[in-house]
Amino acid sequence: MIISSSPLRLCSPAPVTRRQRFRLKRFLEGVSLWLSVLLMLFVHPLYAEANEADNVGQLHFVDGQGQWQEPALVLDSEFDIQVSGLIADTRLLRSFRNTSDQWREGVFVFPLPEKASVYDLTMTVGERTIEGKVQPREAARRTYEKAKQAGQHAANVEQQRPNLFTARVANIPPGETVSVELKYQQPVQYQAGVFELTVPTTLTPRYMPGAPVRNAPDQWQGGWAMPTTEVPDAGAISPFTVTPDDVAADSHRAVINLVIDSGLPIESVSSPSHRLASRQDGQTFSIRPDGGEILMNRDFVVRWRPVAGLEPSAAVFHQSWQGEDYLMAMLVPGENGTMALPRDLVFVIDTSGSMAGESIRQARSALQAGLDTLTPRDRFNVIQFNSQTHSLFMQPEVATGNNLARARRYVDRLRADGGTEMAPALSRALEGAGETEGGARVRQVIFITDGAVGNEAALFRQIRQQLGSQRLFTVGIGSAPNRHFMREAARWGRGTYTAIHSPSDVDGPLQALFSAMESPVLTDIRVDWPGQETGKESFPRRSGDLFQGEPLVHVVRGVPAMGELKVSGRLPGGKDWTRTLDLQQAAPATGLHRHWAREKIDSLEDEARVTGREPDKAGITELAVSHGLMSAYTSFVAVDSTPARSPETPMESDNLPTLLPAGSQDGMLRYPQTATSAPLLIALGLVGLMFSLAIVLLQRRAFP
Amino acid sequence: MTRLLLLLLTSSATLLVFGLWIPLKAVIAQELLEMAWAESQARQTESRPWPWADTWPVARLAIPELNDTMIVLADTHGESLAFGPGRLTGSRDHGGAVIIAGHRDTHFRSLKALETGNEVRLQGRDGRWQSYHVDGARVVDSRSELIDTQRLPEGTLLLVTCYPFDSVDAGGPLRYVVRASAKGKQREQIDTVAGI
Repeated sequence: MIISSSPLRLCSPAPVTRRQRFRLKRFLEGVSLWLSVLLMLFVHPLYAEANEADNVGQLHFVDGQGQWQEPALVLDSEFDIQVSGLIADTRLLRSFRNTSDQWREGVFVFPLPEKASVYDLTMTVGERTIEGKVQPREAARRTYEKAKQAGQHAANVEQQRPNLFTARVANIPPGETVSVELKYQQPVQYQAGVFELTVPTTLTPRYMPGAPVRNAPDQWQGGWAMPTTEVPDAGAISPFTVTPDDVAADSHRAVINLVIDSGLPIESVSSPSHRLASRQDGQTFSIRPDGGEILMNRDFVVRWRPVAGLEPSAAVFHQSWQGEDYLMAMLVPGENGTMALPRDLVFVIDTSGSMAGESIRQARSALQAGLDTLTPRDRFNVIQFNSQTHSLFMQPEVATGNNLARARRYVDRLRADGGTEMAPALSRALEGAGETEGGARVRQVIFITDGAVGNEAALFRQIRQQLGSQRLFTVGIGSAPNRHFMREAARWGRGTYTAIHSPSDVDGPLQALFSAMESPVLTDIRVDWPGQETGKESFPRRSGDLFQGEPLVHVVRGVPAMGELKVSGRLPGGKDWTRTLDLQQAAPATGLHRHWAREKIDSLEDEARVTGREPDKAGITELAVSHGLMSAYTSFVAVDSTPARSPETPMESDNLPTLLPAGSQDGMLRYPQTATSAPLLIALGLVGLMFSLAIVLLQRRAFP
Repeated sequence: MTRLLLLLLTSSATLLVFGLWIPLKAVIAQELLEMAWAESQARQTESRPWPWADTWPVARLAIPELNDTMIVLADTHGESLAFGPGRLTGSRDHGGAVIIAGHRDTHFRSLKALETGNEVRLQGRDGRWQSYHVDGARVVDSRSELIDTQRLPEGTLLLVTCYPFDSVDAGGPLRYVVRASAKGKQREQIDTVAGI
């Protein structure tokens, strides 16, 4: 300012000739002209940017690789859960509100409990409700696509994994809401005297092993992952994961209402994941999360405990459906295992990128707790894996103080980064199958992971082949672990699954696991239903071994509620164990036939896995359709009869993102802010200078 | 009136000075960073360019075609991008892709001149140079696209800056991403006992 204003001040008091003044004026006018040219130079790119931004936006619709569009749909979820007996029945309402001024299709990939049987779909558009139908998967998809093209309201829900589903809703009018109501049921978990129910709300982004498939068919792509040789449907199970800030402020919220009517006096209800607001009415508990709504970035887990001494040790339920009798029995052996043999304990810890953040800290403390349980008779090893596998010792070493100290240091240094190549880690952990010293040692593997992989089926096959006489126990970590993987891996590994939900929740479940691991309490289990050829229509077809606190749950079709159920097995010492249950005391229940059908479908798929053949697709489809169930081969579709959108009106497709699980770090990096305000500051400075010069000139012209 | 005018003049001049200070700082900082880089190469440690710095040099980036070289800093947090481009992730020692982001108005202004096939060189702390070939550049929308680090093949170098280059908007959503891949890839596997 000194430079520009001082010549003026210096000039004015001195006697100046007209000519000089004129020259000064010309000079200043020249300067402002130059400045305005400069200004033009700065304004031009702004203008250009505005134009370019549009083009880029269009480009990105076309190439559609690894990106999701700013969602114009706002998602609301409402869970109404009714627990009666051992089955929880859920009505899940998902509303897609279109906030844009264009017609939209919403595509949403979402998790459900791993044992969920989806049995109903209803679509609501304004006042009208349209009932969905079960159809074979391809047929349902064709029905949906046809309706979508024709401009009819339509909804389609498909199963991608037993715990992962895709909902598609076509032709959502601008500014309006289309709701999809799903009904599903799930068995309630009962372990060591505590009931547990989980409502998954999001999923941890999964790693897709294998090489990308070149020349993949140019099909519908809704996810960030490209199909690979091992996960051909990677695109369908990899919804974009975003932080809560990236979605509309009222999107991705869930209302949960849980009513527990278990017929037992309940002592306490708690949740390791959320604060609860519960209300008791006799033996009925009404539970909702504190504050009403929860953000869908963490599984909602509720546990309840019957009054001490009244924990159920046996229960039978009965249902008549379409003239057939269905029975479900639950039995807790209530025996204690005895620690007998020294162990070879192999800890496998997942240090892949999806474990970054809170998860790796929980995993480390779980592993440290596991090291605490070792005695000098035991041998142990620690294996970590991400893109590569790395083990602490070449083979299991004796748990001396020295070795344990080494292991503790090793565990403390673990960092989470990289891919999730689980197969080599499993091979390495299971490779010592034969080294049991003639049965004088037991070999056990503790697998600590979030299960965020896309090739579950291949891993189950591998566990089955390499297991030998070992046992595999899984410990699920994080806000949204892949429970399907956890539970099934433990089942194929003849072990149990333990979930850790929060840092404060590490000790309890792990103590239960470590005491259960000492030995199974019941092996060689046989279940004999009266008047029935053994194992004909009862499931699970082969009961696995039971660990401490675990119940035996069986379901059967075609057996009336008469006579006695006989369960026998072998105790750790080799003694026989038998228990009978009077079936006449069976309590009435609903949904047993769906549970039975789901168990039968699972057993058919198991058979296929064991024999290495294709699953009985026709059989599963028929079973699922007759019981109105969703399965890998059947999906739900609902179509409104009258078209709502004229074919000329364009419609866009929105792939709704899921939220990043709480406490985890995004493997996907955000582009950083890479511009400075320098050009803006310079431009503003120059404009200001020019403006003041112009005023000075005007002033001098007006008052010479 | 005169006071108002003076105020306007003062504030515009201040803005101008601040605006010019940013590119000036970028140039001066690089000189200091050169010294810190030489020191960290000599001592094989992280050495901070000035005592209160919250970042340190991790690599040297050279673009021979444009006769341009600059020191790359660790991370892109805080103010570090004002002093030099920042390495978001990856290093030659740990394998994986390397992602470097820099300011469009200062260090990475020259990115727009990079063409497919051009060479980009990156020197690590051990003094060894790694050559990369530019595969191409594209414009991405940072609101809708994230960098999936697990998907990037090893030996990939991403240079990220803001786009468009002549914009005055500092918070724009578009990014210009140059992708380069290593040539003569020689990467030792990390040292494992199992060696799988």
